[in-house]
Amino acid sequence: MSVAAPGPAALRGIDLARAVRVMLPAVMLVIVACFAAASPTFRSGGNLVHVLINDVTLPALASLGMTLVVSTGGIDLSVGTAADLAALAAALTVTQGGDALLALSAGLAAALCVGVVNAILVAGFGIAPFLATLGILFIGESVQQLATNGGAPIYVVSNFPPLLDRLAHGAMLSIPIPLILLAMLSALTRLLLARTAYGRRAHATGIAPAVARHSGVPVRRVLAITYILSASLCGVAGLLLLATVKSYVPLSGNAFLLDAIGAVFLGTTISRDARPNVPGTLLGVLLFGVLRNGLLLVGWNFYWQQVAVGLLVLVVLGVSFGVRRRGRE
Amino acid sequence: MTAQSLSRPLSSGQMPPARLLRIGATLLLIVAVGLFAAMAPGFATASNLADVAEQSTVLALLAFGMTLVVIAGGPDVVRGGIDLSLGANLGLCDALYAAMSNAGHGDGTSALVAVGAGAAVGLVNAVAIIRFGVPPLLATLASMNACAGLELVVTQNTVLTTDSPLLGIVAGPGALGLSTTDWILVAMTAALLLVMHATPVGLRLRAVGLHPRAARAAGLPVAAMGAGAYVAAGTLAGLAAIVQAARLSGSSPGSGDILLSVVLTSLLGVVFSRRLQPTIGGTLAAVLFIGCLVNGFQLVNVSSYWVNGIEGVLILSVVALRSLLQRPG
Repeated sequence: MSVAAPGPAALRGIDLARAVRVMLPAVMLVIVACFAAASPTFRSGGNLVHVLINDVTLPALASLGMTLVVSTGGIDLSVGTAADLAALAAALTVTQGGDALLALSAGLAAALCVGVVNAILVAGFGIAPFLATLGILFIGESVQQLATNGGAPIYVVSNFPPLLDRLAHGAMLSIPIPLILLAMLSALTRLLLARTAYGRRAHATGIAPAVARHSGVPVRRVLAITYILSASLCGVAGLLLLATVKSYVPLSGNAFLLDAIGAVFLGTTISRDARPNVPGTLLGVLLFGVLRNGLLLVGWNFYWQQVAVGLLVLVVLGVSFGVRRRGRE
Repeated sequence: MTAQSLSRPLSSGQMPPARLLRIGATLLLIVAVGLFAAMAPGFATASNLADVAEQSTVLALLAFGMTLVVIAGGPDVVRGGIDLSLGANLGLCDALYAAMSNAGHGDGTSALVAVGAGAAVGLVNAVAIIRFGVPPLLATLASMNACAGLELVVTQNTVLTTDSPLLGIVAGPGALGLSTTDWILVAMTAALLLVMHATPVGLRLRAVGLHPRAARAAGLPVAAMGAGAYVAAGTLAGLAAIVQAARLSGSSPGSGDILLSVVLTSLLGVVFSRRLQPTIGGTLAAVLFIGCLVNGFQLVNVSSYWVNGIEGVLILSVVALRSLLQRPG
């Protein structure tokens, strides 16, 4: 706020900005090193795969969708709703005797519905994304409670279609299929956001919607595509969750929401211009997964993990925003 | 987009639609209450309405906190003021009160710890948001996680039952046939209305939220007032925790679920104000409206699973109407 000598201040600003960009990877390395020193189990290769499959894949899929949405300047609170409704539709199809393909299509169709409704509300009516998706979150909760008689889980253990089972527990060239799926969808999202006209338009919409509109960017279409893509990615996460645990538990997808929002904004710290980006998001999700797994292995209980994750996010965000603010002033 | 249209004071030409919305909302309230009165025999009795107020007190105190934060931070839900940690803060303070009371501490100490913890959470939010510039949505999302974790650490995810003279007084009968809880609601509403409408604080808080630069130029302590709103919201959550402890005879997991209702009522309250601004009176009207809805549904035997869905539809219709009314041209 005070007028500082321009030379040193600018220099310090540059150094700090660079420091912020390496902060997330550095925190990650420190955490991994600490846990590796403290717990032999953490170091094992089997544990790494375990973390990737159980703690990272599903939130990462939801986070990819959130990365797109935040790029356009919005936020999607209904990621869990899309995942849950996809799982619900697929579970109901299986219990009615439908085969795997029918279940998968039903699930994706349900997720698409959520995306289309969000798109209509945000792109069509111009409702603020936070409020539009909050409304959908509420309605989704009601739908699930009504469909399950108040929240009773649907178990689909008997007659579980083998194809669905392979989706979650199978492997190709000894790489687990969920990881292959995640890698493919991450690469696609990365390409879409960084290398296509859609990606540039999404960023333009997020940075300056009015300028984008006046420059001929079809802002509404970009927004509509974004919310539909986000819901579809979450639908995949929901289907994978159903295939993994062979049951549908109402409202379980809401657990993805915090991880997704946290990961996307942590991920912006590694980008030069503080924009959402796929590598940063994946690093954020990985950080949460490693932190939870490591704390568990060194004997902290589940409750303390939640406190630790919350405080860590607060500190990392505080440092990065604090530095950026100083850079601007 | 909504932020710009909202922060611009409505010109006289735009007043009629806003008035239409306000009158429509009030009519809807009256119609809903009238319908319940006609359909459910016990609804319109004085004791039932006092019950509605009693059941709404916790929600009202939290929604007042949210209203203060939104007024001081501006109406944009992502960059403006919002406090997502209120629900988790309530749970944490409630758990702390029950644990302190069960450990043999007196009412004074326990209540001080509970309210102090609430204010402390508010202070952490204020530091992250005002000092470090973290967007409120992200900062309070992280602190919500930390609070929910701390609550679990305190309670180990169990129900803590407790009994103390203070809780007996809060839950017990007061003057004029109303319970003490009812009187707490009346007193807090009166106090906040007085502060917001009869002292300079109210107008200054609004200035800080809507036009921070103009407020700074006018010599208002912008940062201190913004921080004060978060601390006040946290303190209100601490007070609400004592009411909650009296109602539940202790603490039970899951009080964080109230968050969505808090967001809903603080948004909904906007339609009861002349300039579509958040106000204490409007928030109270929204809280009582939701309270009547829940209570009326119980009395006419509609499944409570519908409540979330109807709340979602309400949010969407309010914000869709508002964005349609305020769209220029």
